[in-house]
Amino acid sequence: MPLWWPLVLSALLFAIGVYGVLVRRNAVLVLMGVELMLNAVNINLVAFDAYFRDVLHGGQTLALFVIVIAAAEIGLALAIVLRVFRTHGHIDVDELRELADRDPVSGPGADQAAAPGADVVQEEGR
Amino acid sequence: MSWVVLLLVALPFTSAALSLYLGHRGELAERGVAVGASGLGLALAAAVAFPHLGDAEPLGRVFASTSAAGPPIELSVYVDQLTAVMLLLAHTVAFLVQVYSLGYMAGDRRYPSYAALISIFTGAMTLVVVADDMWALLIGWELMGACSYFLISHHWELREARAGAVKAFLMTRTADLGLLFAIIVLGMRFDTYRISTIMGEIAAGGFGRDELWLPALLITAAVIGKSAQFPLHTWLPDAMPGPTPISALIHAATMVAAGVFLVARTFPLYLSAPAALTTLGLVAALTMLVSAVYALFTQDLKRVLAWSTVSQLAYMFAALAVGAYAAGVLHLLAHGAFKALLFLAAGSVVHAVGTTSMSAMGGLRDKLPDTFITMTIGFGALAGVVPLVGFFTKDAVIGATWEAALHGRLIWPWVAWVLFGSAVLTAVLTVAYSLRAWLLVFFTPAAAPATFDTEVPEPHEAPLSMKVPLYLLTVPTVLGGLLVAYPELVFGPGEYDLTHPWLAAVMTLLVALTAALVAWQWQRSGGRDPWHPFVLPHPAVDRIYDVGVVRPVEWLARMVRAGDRDVIDGYADGAGIATRGIGWLFRRAQTGNVQTYLMVVVVGACAVAVAAGVAG
Repeated sequence: MPLWWPLVLSALLFAIGVYGVLVRRNAVLVLMGVELMLNAVNINLVAFDAYFRDVLHGGQTLALFVIVIAAAEIGLALAIVLRVFRTHGHIDVDELRELADRDPVSGPGADQAAAPGADVVQEEGR
Repeated sequence: MSWVVLLLVALPFTSAALSLYLGHRGELAERGVAVGASGLGLALAAAVAFPHLGDAEPLGRVFASTSAAGPPIELSVYVDQLTAVMLLLAHTVAFLVQVYSLGYMAGDRRYPSYAALISIFTGAMTLVVVADDMWALLIGWELMGACSYFLISHHWELREARAGAVKAFLMTRTADLGLLFAIIVLGMRFDTYRISTIMGEIAAGGFGRDELWLPALLITAAVIGKSAQFPLHTWLPDAMPGPTPISALIHAATMVAAGVFLVARTFPLYLSAPAALTTLGLVAALTMLVSAVYALFTQDLKRVLAWSTVSQLAYMFAALAVGAYAAGVLHLLAHGAFKALLFLAAGSVVHAVGTTSMSAMGGLRDKLPDTFITMTIGFGALAGVVPLVGFFTKDAVIGATWEAALHGRLIWPWVAWVLFGSAVLTAVLTVAYSLRAWLLVFFTPAAAPATFDTEVPEPHEAPLSMKVPLYLLTVPTVLGGLLVAYPELVFGPGEYDLTHPWLAAVMTLLVALTAALVAWQWQRSGGRDPWHPFVLPHPAVDRIYDVGVVRPVEWLARMVRAGDRDVIDGYADGAGIATRGIGWLFRRAQTGNVQTYLMVVVVGACAVAVAAGVAG
């Protein structure tokens, strides 16, 4: 099997993942994009492992590591998404802008910036 | 003995420090320290002074001296007859002022600093009169200027108090430069700063006429500023917003007397430089007339006294200018006594009435009997009424100018004639303004209060602590004439041509005539002001200073402030604004949308990859 087959597949998967991360507004779909990117990397690792006929199979080992870490990451990320849904009532990443750097006194959205934070406090205190 | 002199200098400063340390801890402690220390000072001063009066050797002692390059600067004292009488005068008046202040300043919340400043003032004057080193003298001289600034602005809430203090400080301070330069010139010439040595060398001769004109004129400049002579005579009347005991201290014993003292101390220098004597004489002739005219018309009791001080100081300078050392010094002593009396009595009047304007006074003869008696004696001495001290010393001064005009060789006769005419005319004017002030304060029926809403307290006699100094001061005022009869008691044996019987008779006649004229005019105007209150314009030199000095300085200050605000601050503000602007620009990128950030990362990574591909 020529090397470029899995490489093209992984490049396509990675591009789809990047697209998903960059343009999807649903946080779960963004996470799916991240997963796609990770798995594209995994394909690369396995492909090169096979291509170089590595005695220690470092690529396959690393791929296993990546899978474990991806599982942990998705667990943590889904927990965050769940939390965001509980506090904001939605998981639209376009609307999650509390960390934007705004003018402290004036400027558009100054009062709106304060309002969600206040909501958080209320929700947390409940 | 010489250590006692040093102690006498140190005592007032110690008591000042103690007063300030004690602060408001206890009324008894703070008042006790102030009065007790000044009483102790008076005792020490008497102990130092009396052995050196009359036919006594002067005491000179050097305690320490520097050994750096140039002439040595020494901590040294020199007590001769002049120092002795000045010590007595300064400490007597200071003690009486402290006692008087017990009543006058009762309840004043700035009493501790006030008492401390009087102590420092006394100490500075002591330093001036006992110092044998010119730098030590300069230190005392400048300390007095600083203290007068603080004391005049005692009521610093008042705008005119602040203005008067600044004016006094700036004027005297400017003139003090003359003393500084004179010290440098004399030090370079004689290779020592010891006054007694320098004066001894000058008195021994060997210097040409007017060879030392420069230091003499420089000292004259300093003296003109300190003693408020023309053209720097305007600070003294403007210093009147200060507490009245301070005016007594400044006018009688310390500040302005220091000017006369300095001339008397450096008298050999003046005798060797008639140019300086002529300058001094002409300044005195002009000053005594101008200030007497101002005293004649002003409506404010304290300003009348202030102008009369300027006028009487000019008398002393007139005597010194014609070489009559004893007459000048005796008039200084006499003036110290009766002017302190007058100011303290005026303080009693102000204490009772609550204002210094003479239009609000009148009819106080029955309400303030003690003040009436003592102030009458004071005014009498000022006007030169026969048995009082002012008569004798003024006669000595006028007689001295007369002698100098007839056959004096020290200064040109015409200068002496000018002085003589000016002195006689001023004596007449002095009678007129003294009598007018006396009548207005004590006899004119009191003006009805303008408003009935405000409760006007009935004038009341001052407390005992204010009355006692008044009566004590009448003693030298009445008996001081004996000193003129027996000047040997003060100055030691010698020829003193102080009494001029026929001149005294003429002067007495003039005094009586003027008094009668003023009294007649007063009767004719129905017991009111003898002449229509005529507001003299502010002294013309003040306008010159205003245009020539004050306004340019204010303009310059505005320029500097504008430069600071618009140029220097411009840089600082500009840096701030630029930083904010750049921050604003960069902050646009921080939208809070994570996907935008990621987009930047991805595009950046792609750009790096493409660039690496192209380059590599």
